Amino acid sequence: MEYVFHIIIMVCIYIILVLSANLTIGVANLLTMCQAAFYGIGAYIGTLFLMQFNYSFVLIAIVVMFFTGAFSLLISYASARLKDDYFIIATMGFQLIVYTILYNWTDVTRGPYGIPGIPGIKLLRIIEISGIYGYLCLSLVMMAIVVLLFRHLINSPFGRALNAVRADEMTAQALGRNTIRLKSMAFFISAAFTGLAGTIYASYVSYIDPTSFTLDESIFIISALFIGGIGNTKGPVLGAVFVVLLPELLRFVGLPDSIAANLRQIIYGLALILVMFYRPQGILGKTILK
Amino acid sequence: MIGQFIVNGVITGVIYSLMAIGFALVYNTTRIFHIAVAGIYVFAAYMFWVAKWYLNCSFSNAFMLAVLLTMGLSLLTELAVYRPLKNRNASTNVMMIASIGLMTIIINLIAMFFGNETKVIENTIMMPYHRGNIIITQPQLFQALVGGMVILVFMFILLWTKWGLKLRALSTDETLFETLGFDTNQARSYIFLASGALVASASCLTVYDVGLDPNMGMSVTINAIVAMIIGGVGKFNTCIIGGIVLGVLQSLTVYEFASNWQNAVTFLVLLIFLFLRPQGIAGYKQRTV
Repeated sequence: MEYVFHIIIMVCIYIILVLSANLTIGVANLLTMCQAAFYGIGAYIGTLFLMQFNYSFVLIAIVVMFFTGAFSLLISYASARLKDDYFIIATMGFQLIVYTILYNWTDVTRGPYGIPGIPGIKLLRIIEISGIYGYLCLSLVMMAIVVLLFRHLINSPFGRALNAVRADEMTAQALGRNTIRLKSMAFFISAAFTGLAGTIYASYVSYIDPTSFTLDESIFIISALFIGGIGNTKGPVLGAVFVVLLPELLRFVGLPDSIAANLRQIIYGLALILVMFYRPQGILGKTILK
Repeated sequence: MIGQFIVNGVITGVIYSLMAIGFALVYNTTRIFHIAVAGIYVFAAYMFWVAKWYLNCSFSNAFMLAVLLTMGLSLLTELAVYRPLKNRNASTNVMMIASIGLMTIIINLIAMFFGNETKVIENTIMMPYHRGNIIITQPQLFQALVGGMVILVFMFILLWTKWGLKLRALSTDETLFETLGFDTNQARSYIFLASGALVASASCLTVYDVGLDPNMGMSVTINAIVAMIIGGVGKFNTCIIGGIVLGVLQSLTVYEFASNWQNAVTFLVLLIFLFLRPQGIAGYKQRTV
């Protein structure tokens, strides 16, 4: 049973990650390759606060979201100056710089050795969440909040304005929208929730090292997003569920581990190409990437 | 001592240049962000390894075989993925996502067949050459000579032949190229063949020196993209400048700091170029960026 709970927790974390990516990539059409960088920044900042201070979860969540969001200002600056491919490359560069720093700044991050023994999250400073049931409840609640929030955001005036930026940035500007500010807000929200997912992950696994936050992880999150669909809420949720459940399904088929890992990646790649061919908006998505 | 690092940097730069031209060939002409070259690079390396160890070919025969097979794979990516997507009027971003999928498939198929561990091409000890204080190993000599020759042949084709003229025309304006009655699809096929050949030669020359594993493609590809950008997007000879500048820069980073900060310095330089001089060292000034 714990195995099923573990999968549910991972599904919840990935739903938060993929939904956050959807806000910038799907709604605002700003293709970024640095989601794993924010995931990592959130995980490391969360770890720092969990280990050093005895704060309650709500406070830690707010602090992590604020600081991770602050890092997104760099990406906002890049998005104001660079277009299309140049922007994608800049975000890729940001991702690789963050990874290199996490890997090499051994005084703070312990580099490749990782940080073991991350304490559990404390609700209201007293009740420490421990055991798989605690994390199950926490991640389900957080997932539900994030799903509802993003659903609301996409249909709110803010979401509609972002949609206008995607459809035609010039027109949106001509109609008096400050598109740079809109994009910055989208990046901030996206990065903040990605960081929150990172903190939940760090506390749940209780061990982090930089190899969880590579460019490949960014590509993995994007793959999940594009397979599921972009521009609405159900698409990303489906994508996250698909990429987390697929390896478990393959396990039941009874393939040897060495083949199963590669086969899984091949299925992701194939799904990505097929989706781009026959349904570029993704299986349940709404908008098409421009 | 610093001379040694500069020589090493220039030789690495030749490899980056090859790879950057291979990427730029596709990028400048079709606007596809061809990340799948990472997979093609790994494929070439494994074909080289198979030819060397299973078919017992000599260095030059194995090299030829790997280049030919890789050209085939490169053409296959165009025929099986990019051209159908183009016929469906897919945007370049959609093609990039498909390219990521393609790369994942190629790399993992190779890992499934050959395993994830590192393999070596040559395990004999070779005598290095000394010139004053500078030491050049035999694989490095191959990289400099063969790589330099491939670049020269490519530049000759680009600048002095009808094909080169067509290629430059296609990279300037695809619609006009088609309007004037040239076959875009045929030209694209040749471009993918040439790109495959360049990527394969970069791959074989590198793995002859350092060995091969299925996950090595991405970092080389990213370095090639950086080389292309700091050289200047839109032309091909700028890739050579970019490649060599990047190679020397990385080598000097190792000399000055340590090799683990190499990537951070590379991308800082990339970001500086993107913000302050997006046209690169010698590229065209573009209006869109």
